[in-house]
Amino acid sequence: MHEASIALSLIDVASEVLRENGGARASALTVRVGAWSSVVPEALTAAFPACAQGTPLEGAHLNVVTVPGVGECPTHGPVTLDVRRGLRCPACGAPTPTLVQGDELELDEIELAEPQLEES
Amino acid sequence: MTTTQAPRIVTVRQNILKANDHTAAGNRAAFRAAGVRAINLASSPGAGKTALLERTLRDLAGSVRMGVAVGDLATENDAARLRQWGSQAEQIVTGTVCHLDADMVQNILPRFDLDALDVLFLENVGNLVCPSSYDLGEAARAVLISTTEGEDKPLKYPTMFNTADVVVITKMDLADAVGFDRELCRENIDRARPGVPIIELSSRSGAGLDAWFAFTRGERV
Ligand SMILES: [Zn+2]
Repeated sequence: MHEASIALSLIDVASEVLRENGGARASALTVRVGAWSSVVPEALTAAFPACAQGTPLEGAHLNVVTVPGVGECPTHGPVTLDVRRGLRCPACGAPTPTLVQGDELELDEIELAEPQLEES
Repeated sequence: MTTTQAPRIVTVRQNILKANDHTAAGNRAAFRAAGVRAINLASSPGAGKTALLERTLRDLAGSVRMGVAVGDLATENDAARLRQWGSQAEQIVTGTVCHLDADMVQNILPRFDLDALDVLFLENVGNLVCPSSYDLGEAARAVLISTTEGEDKPLKYPTMFNTADVVVITKMDLADAVGFDRELCRENIDRARPGVPIIELSSRSGAGLDAWFAFTRGERV
């Protein structure tokens, strides 16, 4: 399983964002994981807390949003795909070679832990 | 001026593997500058990657200048096995990590004289899950499946097959003996990656190798 590697990369990306925001800490972060990303959400959630120890992400809650695969059928337009059936339109079986969505592996947003003093 | 103390949500929307992708882009540029075709080879353990590479190194030795970087868990040493055919083979010890990443490839590149190579094989760790996430900077990705594995593998590992530039079915000499359902396997590969070229071969008998050698050289399959 490579979810520990993914968790470490996630922590690197998130730590950089926190530095850009004045060294804040995070209380939560949301990642988007596509059905075709080869990352298992449960494994990522399990790996994250240990990987986050000693980083500004320690103790942060990880929300994993799974993104279903969507393909483009020539007849039916955008269709939600079933990973077990591959890139085929569920209605007519036509190949849908391109994933419109579903291969994401991205840090979507971070909730900062301590309210920052802000000039407004 | 007033102050607010609302908790803030920072929208990021960044690829988690952007650092790997950045390094991979550097590797790709280095390969391109040296005129090297880098091929990332992925499969399950035992699908015959090393056997296919041995045969390739042996049969193309006079016509294609090849090198191999082999990702191995510490206990194995495929590199030694590959060197006997006269090409340079270097081992990348991945330790507990179950895939090659772009940094590992970048770190091994100084051991090769890229200008003296036409093709560099990047033999990934035997695993159909993790390597799919990591761009190494390769020009092409070959995914191997043997006739002794289940025909449903392409649908069980959709990401790996969906990122393949070619799918190679190995051990065709065993197809009849193991009751390999060729049509079902091809159908499942096409479901995972519609239109992907499929090469059927046997490293032992030599059947089908010409198509693989054409792919190795960067010709149309
Ligand atoms: Zn349709």
